[in-house]
Amino acid sequence: MKRGLLVLLLGLAVGVAAHTVYFRLHLPPNSDSIDAQLVWMKRELQLSDGQFARIRELHEASSPRLRALASQVAQMQAEFAAFENTRRATDRVDFIEFARFVEARRSISRQCLDSTRQLVRAAANEMTPVQRERYLGIVSPAEPTTSDVTN
Amino acid sequence: MPDPFDPLDPLLDRWREPPDLSRSLAPEVWRRIALTEQGASESGGFWRNADAWLSRPPFAILFVTCCALLGLFLAEVRVNRLQREQSAQLARSYLQLIDPLLTAAPAADTP
Repeated sequence: MKRGLLVLLLGLAVGVAAHTVYFRLHLPPNSDSIDAQLVWMKRELQLSDGQFARIRELHEASSPRLRALASQVAQMQAEFAAFENTRRATDRVDFIEFARFVEARRSISRQCLDSTRQLVRAAANEMTPVQRERYLGIVSPAEPTTSDVTN
Repeated sequence: MPDPFDPLDPLLDRWREPPDLSRSLAPEVWRRIALTEQGASESGGFWRNADAWLSRPPFAILFVTCCALLGLFLAEVRVNRLQREQSAQLARSYLQLIDPLLTAAPAADTP
């Protein structure tokens, strides 16, 4: 009885060890950085090293502008929240101020849309037709949101 | 003079002597005890059989190999699931990276 039990425990130990080692070795790296996203894109679209290098340059070049725009959008959100609070508290609307806010918001949204489209177009130009089709399929959710907000 | 009708009479007529339980009870009890003992010896027999199989080197090797393969298979399933989830997460992050309006998604209700 002891020998059978020993084999049973050995089997369980080997199974658990094989599971743990394989899982640790193949665990995908958990990172949310731009590098991780570009490496993921390279794998998904099967980009060559040359394509990957050019696309990385494009993203790195546009990154500061996109970040600046994102911070402007966040600032506009904060302004809108303050405007809304004031309206609720005083029950009055400063229409001139509101019109100025809407115009500024539209202008920023337009700039965001242009920047995104410019980057997508430049990255897509570096790809083969098959890669481009797949890439545009991935980024297409971004387009309607941008255009909706702009209109 | 005839006896007056008593409502208990029909009920007393229907009454019968109860069957003698002592005759059928003992064999039934012994039968059940035998069944229980048989079940216990059968379950013990399973472990004895398993032990006998696992004690043979070829079957022991086969069993350990199967355990290792099962462990690898389950790990592969877990890795695949994690990769799918991470791909979806990276796709969302990439969209946020290239679209500042998505980065500030909660602003969707602003004019």
